[in-house]
Amino acid sequence: MADWLRRHRGLVPYLFLVPGGLWLILFFVVPLITTASVALQEGSLGTGYRLTFNFDVFPDAITRWNVQLVRSLEYGLIVTALTMLIGYPMAYTIAFRGGRYKNILLLLVIMPFFTSFIIRTISWKFILADQGFVLGTLKDIGVLDQSFRLLATPAAVISGITYNFLPFVVLPLYVALERIDPRVVEAAADLYASRFQAFIRVTLPLSISGVFAASLLSFIPAVGDYLNAELLGSRNETMIGNVIQRLYLVNNDYPQASALSLILMIGILVSVFVYRRVLRGQELTV
Amino acid sequence: MTPHRTRTTFAILGLCLALILAACGIGPEDSAGPSPADPGDSGATDTAAPSESAVGGGEPEDELNFANWPLYIDQDDDGNSPTIQQFEESTGVDVTYTEAIEDNSSFFGTVQPALAAGQDTGYDIIVMTDWMIGNMARLGYLEPLDLARDVPNFLDNADQVYLERSYDPDNKYSVPWQSGITGIAYNPALVDEEITSMAQLLDPELIEKYCGQIGMFVEMRDSMSFAMLYNGVTPADATIEDAEAAQQVLLDQAPCVRDYYGNEYAQALADGSLAITMAWSGDVFQLQFDNPDLQFVVPEEGAILWTDNMAIPKGAQHPNAALAMMDYVYDPEVAAQVAEYVNYIAAVPGAKEIILQHAADAESDEDREYLETVANSPLVFPTQEMLDNLYSYKVLDEDEERQWNEMFQEVVQG
Amino acid sequence: MGKRLGTAILPVYTGFVVLYLFLPIVVMAVFGFNDIEGRFNFTWQGFTLEHWANLFSRYPALNQSLLNSLTVAVISTVVATTFGTLIGLALTRYEFRGRAPLNLLIFLPIATPEIVLGASLLALFVSIDWARDLTTITIAHIMFNISFVVVTVRARIAGFDRALEDAAMDLGADEWTTFRKVTLPLIFPGILAAAMLAFALSIDDFVITQFTAGQTITFPLWVYGASRIGVPPQVNVMGTLIFLIALVGIGLWILLQRRELSAAPTSLER
Repeated sequence: MADWLRRHRGLVPYLFLVPGGLWLILFFVVPLITTASVALQEGSLGTGYRLTFNFDVFPDAITRWNVQLVRSLEYGLIVTALTMLIGYPMAYTIAFRGGRYKNILLLLVIMPFFTSFIIRTISWKFILADQGFVLGTLKDIGVLDQSFRLLATPAAVISGITYNFLPFVVLPLYVALERIDPRVVEAAADLYASRFQAFIRVTLPLSISGVFAASLLSFIPAVGDYLNAELLGSRNETMIGNVIQRLYLVNNDYPQASALSLILMIGILVSVFVYRRVLRGQELTV
Repeated sequence: MTPHRTRTTFAILGLCLALILAACGIGPEDSAGPSPADPGDSGATDTAAPSESAVGGGEPEDELNFANWPLYIDQDDDGNSPTIQQFEESTGVDVTYTEAIEDNSSFFGTVQPALAAGQDTGYDIIVMTDWMIGNMARLGYLEPLDLARDVPNFLDNADQVYLERSYDPDNKYSVPWQSGITGIAYNPALVDEEITSMAQLLDPELIEKYCGQIGMFVEMRDSMSFAMLYNGVTPADATIEDAEAAQQVLLDQAPCVRDYYGNEYAQALADGSLAITMAWSGDVFQLQFDNPDLQFVVPEEGAILWTDNMAIPKGAQHPNAALAMMDYVYDPEVAAQVAEYVNYIAAVPGAKEIILQHAADAESDEDREYLETVANSPLVFPTQEMLDNLYSYKVLDEDEERQWNEMFQEVVQG
Repeated sequence: MGKRLGTAILPVYTGFVVLYLFLPIVVMAVFGFNDIEGRFNFTWQGFTLEHWANLFSRYPALNQSLLNSLTVAVISTVVATTFGTLIGLALTRYEFRGRAPLNLLIFLPIATPEIVLGASLLALFVSIDWARDLTTITIAHIMFNISFVVVTVRARIAGFDRALEDAAMDLGADEWTTFRKVTLPLIFPGILAAAMLAFALSIDDFVITQFTAGQTITFPLWVYGASRIGVPPQVNVMGTLIFLIALVGIGLWILLQRRELSAAPTSLER
């Protein structure tokens, strides 16, 4: 076996790619092609759908839902910034100061997410309730106005999404930071760099691949999120994910829902493209 | 080529490929897609083909697959349903009861492709809310029933109002499981007046002082019907102009609405985030255990009576067993048993007497008190006065549904 | 003095973040002891151990749903992590054609809204008449997990120092042994992190599962449905229990791993 592999060295990468690649082609690409086809169809459940190559569905959808599209991108960017701000120091601490407890700390970061999303959100609603033990107390002692609320505001939705994607950010950041040889940082110190300088000029650039991966893993799902807006927001926080959900399930408007999904995907691709160019020249691994 | 250009090229190629494949391979005839496989099967008319003969008329099969909403059947402390167990004993049918239904639209979304392709959904009984029953019947997705032959208990014991429902005339496809009232609930701790009118929920001037503490439903039919009742229109007779007027009422109200809720309004009402909100009778009945001050009213303009119904999806493998189950639960004893646990509105008025009987026979004071509360609650056994002031949703055809949905989506999503 | 404070800031900060992450879990656990009157579990009524006592007897459907979720999560994690790691290895260490399209292929599932993924998968299964059950759920979960695994693992594999492998082979090890004893242990942290992510994604997945589940109920599906009538405290208890078991289970496993890994070269610890 090892001999055969050695002789057909060139085949090895393709062999590695086959299981996962095939899986994705069968169970992602094929359904995706169906989606593209549906987007261009017209009709309804009762009268049937016909493939009419209705390309108008795209500009129509963008015009109708541009507010929600922009809002989703906005929220996605804010969430990415927040998760990065909160998550980077966390990942740094685990990678450089974690010692024997690295894996346990990582586990602590991700374990809350082994429980049900609904329960976590119900708990957050309890914590952030208008008259709950946090806000209620603050209102009683006069720090906050009685009419102040956190739930059903953009803050609640963004906080919810941030909370849910924090581990998605911490883990890839940790992975990138953990492989940095601390001796390199030490060398910077030996060359009279302050700790801050060492961080900016040595650690951060070396971790850029992790930053890229982490920001993708938070930005992309955040833009398409719908559960947080549904459970924690009001109509003014409606995101494109909610729109797609409703179009599909309630209106049974499969073409528009499919079209919007494709628009969302393309929008994300474009953003990532731009982002990658901005980080051009750095060693990225995605 | 640089990696960037390669990627862009591929993206464009991929899209072209997709379109080509779509045109060649996956057209409207192909059932790989959310389209009915057989255009001739779908009812483009308002009612499904009346010439179809009813299922049933035979001996119950060995199995039954029953899909329902969670916590919607009686349960003992061991997590078994006495009703199901008794049914299994008396008929010998092995019942698989799954609480697979969380939401009408999403459940429909998951079974629709199979129904469109003419495949068995795996279920013999499903429980859907009235409007969804109407839609599914219109699309030809339900089996017709012969109630006189197979479900006589329903005709004998159900309240008259359930034999004349607008969304399934003559009960051709369904029989009620539980009903409920969509009304207005309010928290007297936050609201210093008595709520008696729709205006106190929908009029922007009147709700000004409760701005941000008003709750509405994300379910289109509930909210639109409320707005129509406020405008003095009977929902079942509403025209498209009435719908537009209703939409305007909702848009005017929107700035003060905290959110358009599904089930989560109950938590907001319980923790004081909502002062006045649309609500379901069964929920408020439960909430009142924790906070007896919460009020539920049927406003003077009227409110909505909705019904969740048992129906048999097309292609079900065990229709006779399904019909036997339907007949079984219309025995007043069984209806009472379910009502005692579920606390929504049973279709069998005779159940009330039986529950009072159980209360009198109860072993503990706690049980007796609980059963009496259930039997005497207007939320579980509404008075005739309440029932007279309750309306059904309008039965919408496909075009109307699309228009109303689009109008309402603007209200809830902007 | 400044240096002392500076050193303390990070661990303290980490502590706060962990607290923030755990806050809703604590609330969830506390409400598992709530002695509720009716069916809703939103306001505190009193303390009881009743829900812990009848945890597995009260709602058999809940137990089954949890079992289903765990089964799917374990299988999909193992398979997706394997497939994803293989892809990661191929992408970072070998030359081959079709790199850019592959990147796109990996990338797109993360960018696709779940509802579209779920619905189109369902359409696929229906069109080939493949009944929906635990298998189809697992298939779907493996699908979306592969991408997340690849993205997470790559950062680790890319930074891997090939000189170590060369050294091992110079010392007479064949490629397979080198892979097993040098490469794998060194990239293991990345693989572990990816596996944890995949597990969390799978056990909490709702939308795609909803479409591909058929009659099968998973934990998130049961909870979402129950929230219509009132989520029973047993769900809180289950959540707390999962949490505790994960804590114990993987903690034990890490202890076992540490013994194995203590021989392999890792980055220097401070």
